[in-house]
Amino acid sequence: MNAIEIRDLSKSFRGMYAVDHLNMTVPKGAIYGFIGENGSGKSTTEKLICGHLVPDCGDIKLFGKDYTDPGVRVRVGALIENAGCFPGSSVYQNLRMQTINLGLENPDEEISRVLKIVRMEENANIKFKSCSLGMKQRIGIAMALLGDPALLILDEPINGLDTDGMRIMREILVDITKNYGCTVLISSHILGELEKIATHYGIIRRGRMIMELSAEEMDARAQVFTTLKVDDTEGASSALAKKYSDVRREGDGSIRVYDVDDTEEIVDYLMKSGFVPYEIKKNKIGLEEYYIELMSKKEDA
Amino acid sequence: MSSELQFKSPTFAERLKGMLGVDFYRLFHTPLFYIFLAIAAIIPAMVSAMTMMPGPNGEAATPLYSNVWQIIAASESLYVIRGIADYANMNMVFIFGGIMVSIFIGHDYKSGYVKQLFTTHAKKQDYMMSKSIVCAFAMICMCGTYFIGGTLGGLLAGYSTEVNALSLILAILGKMVMSLGWASLYTLINVIFRRYFGISIASSFFFGTGILIIGAAAIVESIGLPSFFLNIFLYGSSVNACLESSFGTLVICALVSVGWAIIYNVLGSYILSKSDVY
Repeated sequence: MNAIEIRDLSKSFRGMYAVDHLNMTVPKGAIYGFIGENGSGKSTTEKLICGHLVPDCGDIKLFGKDYTDPGVRVRVGALIENAGCFPGSSVYQNLRMQTINLGLENPDEEISRVLKIVRMEENANIKFKSCSLGMKQRIGIAMALLGDPALLILDEPINGLDTDGMRIMREILVDITKNYGCTVLISSHILGELEKIATHYGIIRRGRMIMELSAEEMDARAQVFTTLKVDDTEGASSALAKKYSDVRREGDGSIRVYDVDDTEEIVDYLMKSGFVPYEIKKNKIGLEEYYIELMSKKEDA
Repeated sequence: MSSELQFKSPTFAERLKGMLGVDFYRLFHTPLFYIFLAIAAIIPAMVSAMTMMPGPNGEAATPLYSNVWQIIAASESLYVIRGIADYANMNMVFIFGGIMVSIFIGHDYKSGYVKQLFTTHAKKQDYMMSKSIVCAFAMICMCGTYFIGGTLGGLLAGYSTEVNALSLILAILGKMVMSLGWASLYTLINVIFRRYFGISIASSFFFGTGILIIGAAAIVESIGLPSFFLNIFLYGSSVNACLESSFGTLVICALVSVGWAIIYNVLGSYILSKSDVY
């Protein structure tokens, strides 16, 4: 059973499709990285799943049930755009309201539990408006975590966070999927961060899903390349191009040789050709580069 | 958290209990409610006291009312107002209430909390019903403080206390019962104009003044119907709960209030289910 299954989902605003016959499958227990440029339809899709927007057409199933089923919706936690808290109320009061809304027994225990997960046990009594952006995002996650959610929908939860905030958020997300069996749908522009936690990816463009793949598939598709720095970049790249099919010169003066796993062989060939590299690195294309390349291919098409 | 996923659908009562719980918690934890309770007490007290203040040259004031209770309910059913005395009674609570409901619901949308509510509550009628009930409760409380303020102001101003006590009680109960219909109307208005806070407040104020009853009265008169028919409107029944009230008046108030509350709730739920939350 998949956590989310979307078929042929569309949503338009004033005749313009924000989500255009989208298909999407999020496996149960996954951390699904939802990627796309600004205005590609990520947030609209998330709002549609949460029932905040009314679709033009299409079908959304959550854990095999229709998304309007109250039983399944009560097990969805969401952080979309902001935490959805009353600024004049304290962190505790905001969480208390959500425990009442969800009809939770032992609300104080539940509040302590989620505050502990988001590392905010000491901040329960401060007013929401006094919290920093990072704290507000964590409170939003705490709100979403109340009531044993089976599915968490997080829209750009790491936006605006500093390095430490991102690290904490990353740890929280891994913690809740590993220890609590939650499925997480997370959209983010910070692909480097997403890459560290996602088990699956969905790439959306102009409201359409252009690719869905698991982290393993992503890994398999990711190109290996060796970065070399030599004094005579032009001569060395010409020499390498005679043997290897994909050799590129980068803006920083380095040369990249793609899809060759044996770095030693490259260096050996280069030395025999009369070029001595002073820096050698073996890399793999990351999610961000893969995404940029995919987008540029789509643009060309 | 469980590893085996179970999805138990909450019953209607469980859903409503959750939503009502949040709204009551918010109501009691927001200064807004207490400010409006104070306003509802101060305004009638001020009106009563000011009507008995001497003129600038020390001339005796012409009393606006003949007894204390006319600030609570008009002495007779006057659908079309002739002066301030006909207007200044407990019906003013429905104007204060309208503004309070607009701010209360406006905060839901402005803070984004409405997203939490609609994520976990798939059924939109939960929202409409909860807001209508909680805001009706707030207006009933305002009727209570209005009564205290109006009575104290009237007594201090030296008005007579002579009254048919049963009619007075029935009139107050009638107006309290009408709170449900009014709260439902304001909830509907705020759902319709949820993206425009200013228009929500202005519309609530406009409807709360009962100014539309003038047009309704003209229509009823032109087709030769007795003015009693104006009681089918919220303002009509609210005015009908006067110092001549009987048990019949209270029954009419209850029927009209509940009837409109159902209509407004059905309309509001339909609008919410067919349109985007924001």
